[in-house]
Amino acid sequence: MHINIFVVIIILTVFYMATVKRITSLINGFLVQSLFISLYVFSEGVLTKNMELYSVAFILFLLKVIVIPLTLRQLVKNIKADENAGLLISPVISLIFAAILAGFSYEFADKIMPLQGKHLIGAFSISLFITLVGMFLMIFRKKAISQIIGLLVMENGLFLLAAEAAGGLPFFIEITIFFDILVSVMILGVFVYRINSLFTHIDTNKLTRLKG
Amino acid sequence: MSALCFASFFPCDPLSLFFVFVILIISFPSLVFSIGYLKNEYSSRKIALSWILSLGFIFSMLGVVTTNNGFFFLIMWELMSLISYFLVVFDSKKSKSIQAGTIYIIMTHIGTTFITAAILMLFNYSKSFDFIAMKNAVELIPSGTKNLIFLFLLIGFGTKAGIVPLHIWLPYAHPQAPSHISSIMSGVMIKTAIYGLLRFVFIILGIHNLWWGVLVVILAAISCLVGVIYALIEHDMKKLLAYHSVENIGIILLGIGASMIFLKMDIPSLAILSLIAGLYHLINHAIFKGLLFLCAGSIYKATESLDIEKLGGLIKKMPYTAACFLIGSMAISALPPLNGFVSEWLTLQALFLGALNSSGFFRIFLGIAAASLALTGGLAAACFVKAFGITFLSLSRSKKAEEAVEVPFSMKFSMVFLSLLAVLFGLLAVPIVKYLSHLSQYITNIHLNTSFALNNFTLITQSKNPIYLSTPLILILFLLIIATAYFIIRRALPFQKVLINKTWDCGYYNLTPRCEPRFPNRGEYTATGFSKPFRLAFSFFLLPQTKTEKIKDSFYHTTSFKHEISTTPFFNKYIYSPILYLIMKTAKVTRKLQSGSINVYIAYIFATILLLIIFMEKF
Amino acid sequence: MKSVIIIVQVLSIILVAPLISGIIRKIKDNLRMRKGASIFQPYYNFLKLLSKDEVISENSSWIFKITPFIVLAAAITATCLIPLFGTGFSLNNMGDIFTLIFILALGRFCLSLAGLDTASTFSGMGSSREMFISSLVEPVALLALFVVALNSESTSLSLIAGVFNFKLSSLVAVIALFMVTISETSRIPIDNHETHLELTMIHEAMLLEYSGRSLAMLELATHIKQMIFFSLIAIILFPLIILPSFGLYQILFTIAFFLLKILIIGTLIALVEISIAKMRLFRVVDFLGFAFVLSLTALIIQTWGM
Repeated sequence: MHINIFVVIIILTVFYMATVKRITSLINGFLVQSLFISLYVFSEGVLTKNMELYSVAFILFLLKVIVIPLTLRQLVKNIKADENAGLLISPVISLIFAAILAGFSYEFADKIMPLQGKHLIGAFSISLFITLVGMFLMIFRKKAISQIIGLLVMENGLFLLAAEAAGGLPFFIEITIFFDILVSVMILGVFVYRINSLFTHIDTNKLTRLKG
Repeated sequence: MSALCFASFFPCDPLSLFFVFVILIISFPSLVFSIGYLKNEYSSRKIALSWILSLGFIFSMLGVVTTNNGFFFLIMWELMSLISYFLVVFDSKKSKSIQAGTIYIIMTHIGTTFITAAILMLFNYSKSFDFIAMKNAVELIPSGTKNLIFLFLLIGFGTKAGIVPLHIWLPYAHPQAPSHISSIMSGVMIKTAIYGLLRFVFIILGIHNLWWGVLVVILAAISCLVGVIYALIEHDMKKLLAYHSVENIGIILLGIGASMIFLKMDIPSLAILSLIAGLYHLINHAIFKGLLFLCAGSIYKATESLDIEKLGGLIKKMPYTAACFLIGSMAISALPPLNGFVSEWLTLQALFLGALNSSGFFRIFLGIAAASLALTGGLAAACFVKAFGITFLSLSRSKKAEEAVEVPFSMKFSMVFLSLLAVLFGLLAVPIVKYLSHLSQYITNIHLNTSFALNNFTLITQSKNPIYLSTPLILILFLLIIATAYFIIRRALPFQKVLINKTWDCGYYNLTPRCEPRFPNRGEYTATGFSKPFRLAFSFFLLPQTKTEKIKDSFYHTTSFKHEISTTPFFNKYIYSPILYLIMKTAKVTRKLQSGSINVYIAYIFATILLLIIFMEKF
Repeated sequence: MKSVIIIVQVLSIILVAPLISGIIRKIKDNLRMRKGASIFQPYYNFLKLLSKDEVISENSSWIFKITPFIVLAAAITATCLIPLFGTGFSLNNMGDIFTLIFILALGRFCLSLAGLDTASTFSGMGSSREMFISSLVEPVALLALFVVALNSESTSLSLIAGVFNFKLSSLVAVIALFMVTISETSRIPIDNHETHLELTMIHEAMLLEYSGRSLAMLELATHIKQMIFFSLIAIILFPLIILPSFGLYQILFTIAFFLLKILIIGTLIALVEISIAKMRLFRVVDFLGFAFVLSLTALIIQTWGM
């Protein structure tokens, strides 16, 4: 992948999201990340003159920059949740962890999909990094909304991998994936709302009754 | 994986054809029986459900025996187990049914696991699920793996067939199902396990080691004895019949195991003879066990009780059921000229000729096997004297038995149909043996020039000194003598009176009560009393326990005395309970993994992904 | 020709059977220092019973009525299988030694059912004990006959009868068969057929409710069964002499020789009966266990070639 300014900003947003303390900041970080991903795809489209990439970038922009953050912000306002994102480990340690994950993904992704040509960093390692940080967000955050955002970040990572390694997935599948994401966010939103109305909190640490 | 096509289900194989015949010949009367049996027992919706399940069950069994693809075999096998589970818990209000169903489904799945493992191991070498491909690939398999495959098949199919010690589900599941389903399960479903053994071990795998046959014969002999000893002390009619199924599967496997031994010892005529004996007993058992279960169903329908201690005197109230049950009892006790006698005689001959043609250890081994067969035959006869005698003969032991009436026509028809089959399969031994001879030659891939029949009525064993058996001749002789005796006694001699009066009973007339409560008659023999000698003789195995409870009014006056005899279920207590206890303990320890928190679960996934990435380069 | 001889054979056994029982009882009585009844007493009993009326229990069913016929038919059918006058003269086409055991089992099965039929306590007890003892006797009998058949290389009775079998294993098997005979003919130490005391009768208990002509048939069947077992031991131990030609002299000689064999066995049985007391029912298990061990030993000896 061409290491241009967009990719750098994407990586920076990932680090940002790993360390932030408030839910709105998390949503904003996600917004910026998605924005720059769509811009990156758009630039790729310009470079390769592929019509499909334009439409994908556009849909990406629509969905992940406008619709989903709006839905999430509305959800946060509805449940009147505390702005605290509920970190289980302190921001500094989260940052160190994210750095370790970056090193890890660089090291091992190399072995799985070897670098081709003059690229210094493979597409796979960046995508793996973003995916792992998404999963990290799901583990080490208490509030349920963090889990939703973690899922979305994972999807971002996978999307980048698909866009780069495979020259973009077939158009139809991309549309399907977008639709899936939209629907899942809506459903998850409804769930969080219901959890909140039943338990009056969305702290997943306290939801441990589902045991065998 | 082979393509989905109907051709893979067509019975083009003589073995499949035989088993289709067995399935259909038992299912047909059972279904007719269920018309009358279910009529007033359940609501019409439940009856419709029962029909759908029964038909599904029969079709799944037909699928099991006709497919020639291993994958579909497993699918049909699993379908058969599932549908029969639903039929076992059909009477879902009774907690005993649910318990029986649970034990059944667990045991049958353990068996299916082993069968799947074996088929997958075969697939590993043959790269195809088709039976013919598997057969061709067997040469590639190393002998250690062959042994393992054989053991897995034996355990897997043995669980379904009911070999000791994998039999514990049989006495729970067979009694709880409705009677026509019990008859199909006991008569046919456990035979599909024998089909599996024949198909996989004889046709596909081939007999490679002598100890395979020896192991089967040992397990068979143990099953015979354990089954019949437990049956002797049972007083629930269906549970008694279920234990007898264990015993008869033992007898079938005696023939099949002996055949395996003779195949490896390279005595083709004896291998064929023992396989004929095993297959003959298979179909005989299907017939008379199906018959006996249907009769048990009639008894249940008429008296709402299957506890033989509460029945009695039914022969006068239900003559058809009694006659059919008598024929079934005589068949299962191997009395001439019925079908059970022919198959047991053939098994004994096979064992004897095998002993004659072998030496040393095997002679003694086969002799002991023959002795155990004789012992089970004797004990089975004793058990059925008890079952038939206490249920049908003498006086009624409870009000319900007193008020029994004969069952409707559809039920009578099925029972009479199966009884006629029992008699026919005994008399028409020769054509059946000829057919089974062709089948056995197909299964073992041996070609014999001789047939086992002297003429249309006499069987002959192909040995140096031929031995004959002719069941029609026995029957004719019997009838002749009875006719002559009757003529002499009743007609030729001067007439004498035949009076009907009270039972003499050495003069103890007052044992028969004259006023209420009239039941039970204190002079009659009870089933517990009948089986007491056996309980004491086999106490080393049955481990009976007695509990007595005396309630005293004062020091000298006892108002009530309760005496309870029970036997310890050997296999449950010493094998299965410890295993269950271990499993529960392990489960409790493993439970700590489940903390309930989402974060922890996602952390598990995360850790797994990291580990996979690290180790991915190794692959 | 052969069928005529078989019929004559069977009829002669039926005729002679009660006589043998009479002779055995006479020997026992003489050894007990009593005069005893005449040796033809069983015939007198039979004729007396034929002329008596019958009383049938009101609790019984058609099984009770049909059993005497079946038991008698089983006994006579089994007799057809045994060659007496020569090795060819038995219904060899019908069955072999295993068939004989099963046919006798049929008679026993029906008799036990009849015992339970009348709702009489003693008959029920007799049925229970009879089935118990017979189920323990079957493996012994089968294993002993197995060994004998192995020595003659066939289970066919005519072949067993034709081979001169003085091997050690056959002898041991015959001892086991002797114990089987004691059990099957309900003699001391297993059963006392002279008594009708509650605790000491097994076979007699099942016959308890029978009277008149049915009882006559059943007693005749008992005598015939005894003859069958005696003949079995006789043809194993002392094989048949192959007749050079077939004239009247030879037939008489065969019959006389046969009777001699039976009498020797009968005397042995009588001696055993008066020397031992009857065993408790559960001691019978040990007795039969010992017989089984004997049969097993015979098998092992046979495998070693002796």
